Amino acid sequence: MDAYAVSVLTNIGLLGFLALSAYLVLLAGEMSFGQQAFFGIGAYCGGMLTAMAGWPLPLAALAAMAAGAAAAVAVALPTLRLRGLYFAMATLAAAEMARIGFELLHWQVEVAGEPVGPDGTQGFRGIRWVFEAGLAPEGYAVLVWTALAAVTALLAVAERARLGATLRAVGEDPALAAALGLDVHRFKLGVIAASGGLAALGGVLFAHHNTYIEPRNFDVMLGVHGLAYALIGGLGTVFGALVGVALDVGLLEGVRVFQGYRMIVFGGLVALLLVLRPRGLLDEETVRWIGRRFS
Amino acid sequence: MDRKAFFLIAALAAAPAAAQRTEAQLECRFTGTDFVYDCALRLERGATPIEGARVTVGADMPSMPMAHHVRPVEAKPGAAPGEYRFRLALEMPGEWAVKLRLDGPVREQLVLRYEFDDKGARPAVRRARK
Amino acid sequence: MLADLLQNTLDGLAAGASYAPVALGFALIFGVLRRANLSYGPAIMLGCYAAALAHGRFPGLGLGALAAIALLAAVLAGAYVERLCFAPHRRGSAVAAMVASFALWMQLEEIATLMLPRHVVAFPALYEGEPLAIAGLVLRVEALAAIATAAAVCALLAAILYRSRFGLAVRALVAAPLAAELSGIRPARVFFLVFALASAIGGTAGFLVAATDAQITPMMGLWLTFKGLLATMLGGLGSLPGAVAGALVLGLVEAHAQWFLGPQLRDFVVYLLLFSLLAAAPRWMRTPSPS
Repeated sequence: MDAYAVSVLTNIGLLGFLALSAYLVLLAGEMSFGQQAFFGIGAYCGGMLTAMAGWPLPLAALAAMAAGAAAAVAVALPTLRLRGLYFAMATLAAAEMARIGFELLHWQVEVAGEPVGPDGTQGFRGIRWVFEAGLAPEGYAVLVWTALAAVTALLAVAERARLGATLRAVGEDPALAAALGLDVHRFKLGVIAASGGLAALGGVLFAHHNTYIEPRNFDVMLGVHGLAYALIGGLGTVFGALVGVALDVGLLEGVRVFQGYRMIVFGGLVALLLVLRPRGLLDEETVRWIGRRFS
Repeated sequence: MDRKAFFLIAALAAAPAAAQRTEAQLECRFTGTDFVYDCALRLERGATPIEGARVTVGADMPSMPMAHHVRPVEAKPGAAPGEYRFRLALEMPGEWAVKLRLDGPVREQLVLRYEFDDKGARPAVRRARK
Repeated sequence: MLADLLQNTLDGLAAGASYAPVALGFALIFGVLRRANLSYGPAIMLGCYAAALAHGRFPGLGLGALAAIALLAAVLAGAYVERLCFAPHRRGSAVAAMVASFALWMQLEEIATLMLPRHVVAFPALYEGEPLAIAGLVLRVEALAAIATAAAVCALLAAILYRSRFGLAVRALVAAPLAAELSGIRPARVFFLVFALASAIGGTAGFLVAATDAQITPMMGLWLTFKGLLATMLGGLGSLPGAVAGALVLGLVEAHAQWFLGPQLRDFVVYLLLFSLLAAAPRWMRTPSPS
């Protein structure tokens, strides 16, 4: 396969984690401008564990996911009673604090005679676990997509089970859900923890794909893109988030006609799409319609 | 920059293994067509030019690394030893992380941060944000 | 020490005065439509790019003519954003409207870079002389212009909202949307005009910022949206006097934090303040009407 196609596929997979995490928060009835922080925390944690502490990638990924989930809960605990734009702004403020935190993080150790570790705005070089393990770009794309497929399958199963119905009930009418005896607050916290862990997993894989990360990778643009992908793909199914990413990164970037005008095409397309389908391409109705066709 | 030079000199003096670090220098000229650059890359390892490597060059925007991603190009050997030439078509001016992948006699992966405009490319300096 | 404190306070108030109209435009849209317009800054930026383009082509144009071009282009871009992102979602989803406005942000930013592909674009300077020195304090002439503009914008906006039929319609729509519609007010038209008004206010503010810096970059859109959003949030979302107060607080906090802690921690302090306010006092953050 063409090297460019492989790198685009990997990028779609990596952004897929971010879009999925934004999708989970949206389903819970909230909007987050801060998922990029958990992506970044995953990238930094995972990178530091493999490059500085010499951990193997799978173990580092698990630890980074735990850190991302914990950070998401720490942000949500004091802010979850806020709604709408207030919650979005609180997550944005927290994420910007995290990004500035990365800028202030200087911690390097000597590895094979070279300083390795986060060096503030100069970034964090030498996250070479995957490179040194001899994994070719094709192999890494397969790894990313396997992880993404596993997560997506898990979420799709959860959605078909009662958990999905509960989640939508909590997101669409929290008062009713509470009246039915659900602990809405705890349920939302759980969803947000999962979203933080998912974003962090994407971050670890991104850091090891790139071998180099810097604080600016995790600014608000990344988070808002994740949110936009989830929404244009559609809130009816977990696959919507991935469709959203593929639409931008795959279709538009792949088609070279749009070179230089891509964001003009993409921006206009998204705005028009949302006029026609405010809950995205694969919204609940479409998903039910497809479901009837195939059952 | 000074600190990096110091590290390099210290490393050269202290441990021969550390001298095996790959150094890359990039020079780019604006072609006049929007955001297309002709670039020359110099690769060295411990003051010896790296020859005969297969060099693939890609670029990402630091503030949107996965969505603004330039089709990687293969560099051709230049006139001087250790020199490689390639043409880079970016999506917009500003700061880009140029990603090099070396195969062949030397396997290596490097990321260089450069700022591109209509005068060419310079190593990116971090200014305090406004 | 005291001189530093005074100088920081003065600088902070001057910065706050330049944020104030930015925040007013943002708060006006939010207060009336209950929707956050992420394309607010980028539309203004496009206006400034149009002015910079005109300045490059016709160097003879004066500041007044360039300001008019910036204002007009910002209003046109704002109207485009309203038609595509807010008019269709007036009764629908706030999230969809916000994401649509983000999508147009990407579009406006790319249009700006295609207009003037350089990363940093020169902009005619507002004033090239020395700053004023009063009792040991330094005051930039641009700061005086910012303060005067902020005061004029506040007075003009108050006059429009409280002394005109249009202002009455706006206030009626906010206070009692159904009753307003029943008495013959057309919300779509009013919202469109509110958008144009907010873009004009923002365009003025943006032009002043660009002329003070004597340069513009594609980052200007993000900067304007963020300053507007932060000031509006700090002042209690949706309240116009609150937005002005928030802008001044933002300017003051930034100036002092920058002096004592440096530029990185300056931004950190601002976000920490906002996060703490949201977490600790959500009720403070809820002001129902825009008056």
